[in-house]
Amino acid sequence: MFLKALWPALEASPVGQYIQASSWAFPTIETFHVIAVVTVVGTIAVMDLRLLGVASTRWPVTSLSKDTLPWTWGAFVIAMVTGGLLFVSKATEYVVNANFQWKMILIVLAGVNMAIFHVFTWRSVHKWNSDTAVPLAGKIAGGLSLFLWILVVFFARAIGFTLDLYSQS
Amino acid sequence: MASLGDIVYALGQWLRSTPVNEFSLAIQKQPLSKMINSTFWATPTIQSIHILAIAATFGSVVMINLRIFQLAGQGVTMTDTVRRYLPWVWWGLAVLLLTGIGMIYSDPVREFTNPVFWTKMILILVAVAVSLWFQGSVRRNVARWELTHGGRVAIRTGAAGVICLWCLIIVCGRWIAYAPT
Repeated sequence: MFLKALWPALEASPVGQYIQASSWAFPTIETFHVIAVVTVVGTIAVMDLRLLGVASTRWPVTSLSKDTLPWTWGAFVIAMVTGGLLFVSKATEYVVNANFQWKMILIVLAGVNMAIFHVFTWRSVHKWNSDTAVPLAGKIAGGLSLFLWILVVFFARAIGFTLDLYSQS
Repeated sequence: MASLGDIVYALGQWLRSTPVNEFSLAIQKQPLSKMINSTFWATPTIQSIHILAIAATFGSVVMINLRIFQLAGQGVTMTDTVRRYLPWVWWGLAVLLLTGIGMIYSDPVREFTNPVFWTKMILILVAVAVSLWFQGSVRRNVARWELTHGGRVAIRTGAAGVICLWCLIIVCGRWIAYAPT
């Protein structure tokens, strides 16, 4: 299968080889990954807590979204690029790791949750922007987002502890 | 010329020659320390909570500083912004401290004989001092934190410096695991 050949090929690529051979590249990229992830989760949580009515109730939903979303996306792009580089250096070990697989599935689910919220629930935002309670759909989206991102962090941290568990070599 | 790695290595060697080493080994022998260390999921779980707490603290620091830079929350007063985010900085720090103690307790040699760990501790003390001072300053004179357009170079530099400080703390946090021994 094409994918079976892809993962070792990624590892054998110049980028993969460089990160593997270097003593500083992996930890340095990982550090940027952590800073980016922490920013993603931190800013998303601000929005989620507002939707849940727990915090930032003085902020209109639309202005809080404007305050956080550019930073969430900017940090997410950095997390993807650095995460991609880390992945390339150990692709065959990561793809078979159950914690890595769960992490990817949960990130996709978080994305779907966000997309549903922005396409459907967001349409009526002007009605519950400031003083009115966020509708149930918005609260569910916020709670689900918070829950999914917390799980992403747990599975992400578990990967580094379980690499030997899943790879045969 | 000695590289940064060489300096960290030499400092680590020195720490291992001090009573800190015996102290760490003594903690390591305690049953609870052994228990955390031998429970497979304990360390990744504690570390995950540690990361979630730094997300809360760092995210809140970022939001306060964005407000200072007038890049976010302009419709809300500085006092409200600080009231919203500063408690999360402190509660996040409390969780960081607890989970941090858990990590130290389960593997004291890794932390106490590690120059990167001590660098991180010093940086945290600086960050806490700056946050306390900031909290007091907002209480005394909130107007000074309202930037006029293009003004207040000192405040801009300070706000950027605080973000860098927290990033450095995260850098040290990750590099405790990679310090040359």
